Amino acid sequence: MTVEAVVEGRLETNRQWLPTVLMLALRELRSGIGGFYVFVACVALGVAVISGVGALGDALRAGFESQGETLLGGDVTLSRPHRRAEVAERAWIDARGRASESATLRAMARRLDGSEQSLVELKGVDGVYPLVGAMRVRDVPVADVPRLLAGAGALVDPILLESLGVGVGDRMQLGKTEVQIRGVIETEPDRISDRMTFGPRVLVDLATLEVSGLAEPGGLVRWRYALKLPGVSDASELVRFRDQLKGALPDAGFTVADRRDPSPQVSRTLERLRQFLTLIGLTSLLVGGVGVANAVATYIDRRRRIIATFKSLGASNQQIFLIHLTQVVVIALVGIAIGLLLGLVFPLVLTPLLGDALPVQTAFSVRPWSLAIASTYGLLVALLFTVWPLGRASAIRAAVLFRDEVAPDRVRPPLWIMIATASIAAMLLAVALATSESQRIALYFCLSLAAIFALFWALGQGITLLARRLPRPRRPTLRLALASIGSPGGLTRSVVLSLGTGLSLLVAVSLADSSIVDELESRLPRNSPDFFVLDIPRADIEGFTALVKRVTPAAHINQAPMLRGRLVQIAGRPVEQIKPTAEVQWVLSGDRGLTYGDAVPEGSRLVEGDWWPAGYDGEPRVSFEADIARRLGLKIGDTIVVNVLGRNIEARIANLREVRWESLAINFVMVFSPNTMRGAPHNLLATITLPAATPLAQEAELSRQIGRAYPAVTAVRVRDAINAFNTVFRKIMVAVRAAGSITLIAGALVLAGALATAQRRRIKQAVIIKVLGGTRWEILSMHAAEYVMLATATALLAVVLGSLASWLAVTRLMDVPFVFSLSAVGMALGIASALVLFLGGLGTWRVLNAPAVPHLRTE
Amino acid sequence: MSEPLINLQAVGLTLDSRAGAVKVLDGIDLVVREGETVAVVGPSGSGKTSLLMLIAGLEQATRGRITVAGHDFTALGEDALARARGGAIGIVFQSFHLVPTMTALENVALPLEFRGQPDALASAAAVLGEVGLGHRLEHFPSQLSGGEQQRVALARALVPSPRLLLADEPTGNLDGATGRQVVDLLFAASARRNTSLVMVTHDEALARRCRRVLRMADGKIVSDGAHAETPTGAAA
Repeated sequence: MTVEAVVEGRLETNRQWLPTVLMLALRELRSGIGGFYVFVACVALGVAVISGVGALGDALRAGFESQGETLLGGDVTLSRPHRRAEVAERAWIDARGRASESATLRAMARRLDGSEQSLVELKGVDGVYPLVGAMRVRDVPVADVPRLLAGAGALVDPILLESLGVGVGDRMQLGKTEVQIRGVIETEPDRISDRMTFGPRVLVDLATLEVSGLAEPGGLVRWRYALKLPGVSDASELVRFRDQLKGALPDAGFTVADRRDPSPQVSRTLERLRQFLTLIGLTSLLVGGVGVANAVATYIDRRRRIIATFKSLGASNQQIFLIHLTQVVVIALVGIAIGLLLGLVFPLVLTPLLGDALPVQTAFSVRPWSLAIASTYGLLVALLFTVWPLGRASAIRAAVLFRDEVAPDRVRPPLWIMIATASIAAMLLAVALATSESQRIALYFCLSLAAIFALFWALGQGITLLARRLPRPRRPTLRLALASIGSPGGLTRSVVLSLGTGLSLLVAVSLADSSIVDELESRLPRNSPDFFVLDIPRADIEGFTALVKRVTPAAHINQAPMLRGRLVQIAGRPVEQIKPTAEVQWVLSGDRGLTYGDAVPEGSRLVEGDWWPAGYDGEPRVSFEADIARRLGLKIGDTIVVNVLGRNIEARIANLREVRWESLAINFVMVFSPNTMRGAPHNLLATITLPAATPLAQEAELSRQIGRAYPAVTAVRVRDAINAFNTVFRKIMVAVRAAGSITLIAGALVLAGALATAQRRRIKQAVIIKVLGGTRWEILSMHAAEYVMLATATALLAVVLGSLASWLAVTRLMDVPFVFSLSAVGMALGIASALVLFLGGLGTWRVLNAPAVPHLRTE
Repeated sequence: MSEPLINLQAVGLTLDSRAGAVKVLDGIDLVVREGETVAVVGPSGSGKTSLLMLIAGLEQATRGRITVAGHDFTALGEDALARARGGAIGIVFQSFHLVPTMTALENVALPLEFRGQPDALASAAAVLGEVGLGHRLEHFPSQLSGGEQQRVALARALVPSPRLLLADEPTGNLDGATGRQVVDLLFAASARRNTSLVMVTHDEALARRCRRVLRMADGKIVSDGAHAETPTGAAA
């Protein structure tokens, strides 16, 4: 090939339009990305978690959207508590399209002999249910729901058969009536759109519900109307429907949902979970950032002579910085691409594993927004940890080409590098805040992470300095281990920074877990009532109290009227126009329990304003929970409007109460003056507190007697409810721990990278020790001593920081007493030692087996 | 008389070390004119390489004034020095210092590319042809012999058409015959382009090929004259 041809060819391939810096950067990358595997893995892992969480969220959302109609049971649903649609209302609904009516409530299902009972989520349906989708019943190929339910038939969740010890074909008691179990529900198409369910589902028809006496006026029944609009309705028609409803039935108090978002509550929960897991992904990305920084620092160090050569050939600092920055960005993009790919397949792998645990069938979907967020996080974190070590390149002097210079241990990069680093950190924070629903939580999370990083960095520095200053032990292995910890290029900072954050997170989660479980398992049952009794008709309360006193004479009974209603307006503004913080959103969305009374409820304390006098008969007054009022911007004198039983009631805030929710006493966000609702039909809610020494048999007997005498009343054992919650809580904690473990995996990657970098130096050191008469055992002991000291120091600080974070979260956010658990300390020490010893041990194995001669020759 | 290419006035260099300040160069006065060839000889530690680094602008003098090719090196910042160096000075190192991940052609094109010159590759190919490596353009340093690598390094030093060539022990890593070939090329190229040459060497025979020899000891120039005036008395 002629010179001209070569040059011509190169001109073509180099594409002269490329800027010089980019061309030079790419030219050097042709030899591969050796030495950057940990860099790529760290970026890929973090991006995979974030994009995987995003992709799973997208798949669930896509599932929601594509199955919205089925999940909702129609195009639109109208629902409200207490009141069934009146004739005129029903006529209006029927005029809009095909409608199906259903009613849901909590009730007790009992064996006919009364020996077993269970809280159930009862649903009464009409003859056209389900309007959309199909009910799947075990061993019934095509389930004809109306036929199965006709004549006091019931379909039940399989778990109810277990808890009552009954089978298909058996009968059970529901309120005042007996029903026959006709089949086992496999899939209920619109279950997700009902409120959160605590017990197994029992499906009956509306006729059976009526004769059961459970849906009497005043009972806590939610009536729901699913509507299939005629033809194919687009989004604008759904909006028009809402407007028409507002115009035609302004005070009906219906909550409207449409197929675009069949369950706002589930959507919100999924969105919060996605944001939480994204922050965990960001944590693992930041931990991996330490590996990125190590890799770049090592790269720059290895290229000192090349950088010096560039400088001697006329390259400016800016050119050198940009060449290396371009290379690092290209490598980061490789990591990001791998991470995105892994993230995209995440829902495909996870969906079959999670199965029924997911609230909706996922539909594979790629949303550019989720990918963009993950890529942005990946790139910003890579830059954050790259710019600083790259800045050190400018400190490399061309003079190293002429004489060996000792690499300066600590070089402060130029001011503009510090400004660039701070700007990238600020951008990262801005992205985290902009993509989080609760900016306050995201801000605290990011600030805590920054503080934890700073503390572990300081610990690394501290250990290094301490190891240098400590008197040297007599035993040579310990002396060498200490020297190794204190050496300038040692593993100390990498070990401490890489493992510290992940361990702190796990310790915090473990301690929060043990504190909350302790609260649930021992404190709550000790201090709270034993039974919650729902739906006691007002006329029955005296008989009910007498029955309880007869069976358990020492029982303490507390009762309160119980209605459900929806906030319509606060301080003169419709709630639709209010954007509350995530913490109090629940107060404005959906129905709230309401009560009235002449006195401050038990478990509450008046903090501002005065309670109305007994027999008060003036303008309607309401007492509001103080913290929620503050978050909603409400103060004494403001008015609120609630829709109760289809009537809008306006009341003025008379006082604010502090509620100890954890006491589990009867309490409400809003307590009205009795004259506000005295005429409204409603039932009573009661709590029964038994003396501590009450035998279980007596408790069971009380439950049976209540069931027999008042079949329409629902008595829930608090201990059972807590256990049910505990089961769900434990599952959530397992998921949180699994997410936290990813941070540890990132830490392990960083550690592996740091050990690989240090390997050559450690082999040289081992060879010298061998030459000087040291045995393999002594080298092994030296390494083990170094690893154990580092792991212990890291784990102990992680325990301190994790405990502090947990204490803050548990006592300040959840109002639960903090319980320290030694097992968290053991776990932190165990994981740190296991990881460091395992990864370090692999390196030591190679160090021990390295032959001395080649290394001495190269010396 | 023409303007001096290199002008050092009362130049000193003191470096910090853990043992305290070390005076590396002291009271150096030196003038080199366009087209001159100068050898710098002396025992190890006498300050030869430090002098070369000051002339290359790779080290900042702690005292005195340095002017090279019209630039006051003592007044320039690091990037300005890099630009001045890129245009006026070519350097040949004992250890070649080629970028291992780049081909011979790319290595030679680098100085021009840093200056944003669009025909960098064509110019590099031409100079590589000049040093007899027109057939090795696409070879990486690891695929070249020591002599070939030093010729690539020489081509890289020559490619920006510098007014001054600096060479630090250019044959130190080469065997005798190869070293002679490289030196022949070095002298021929500098003569052809009327480029001044300042070369640090331990090799008295090599020093004798320069028209002027500076002899250094303890950070000072102890003699400065034509090679015939050197103590060895040998003539070129």
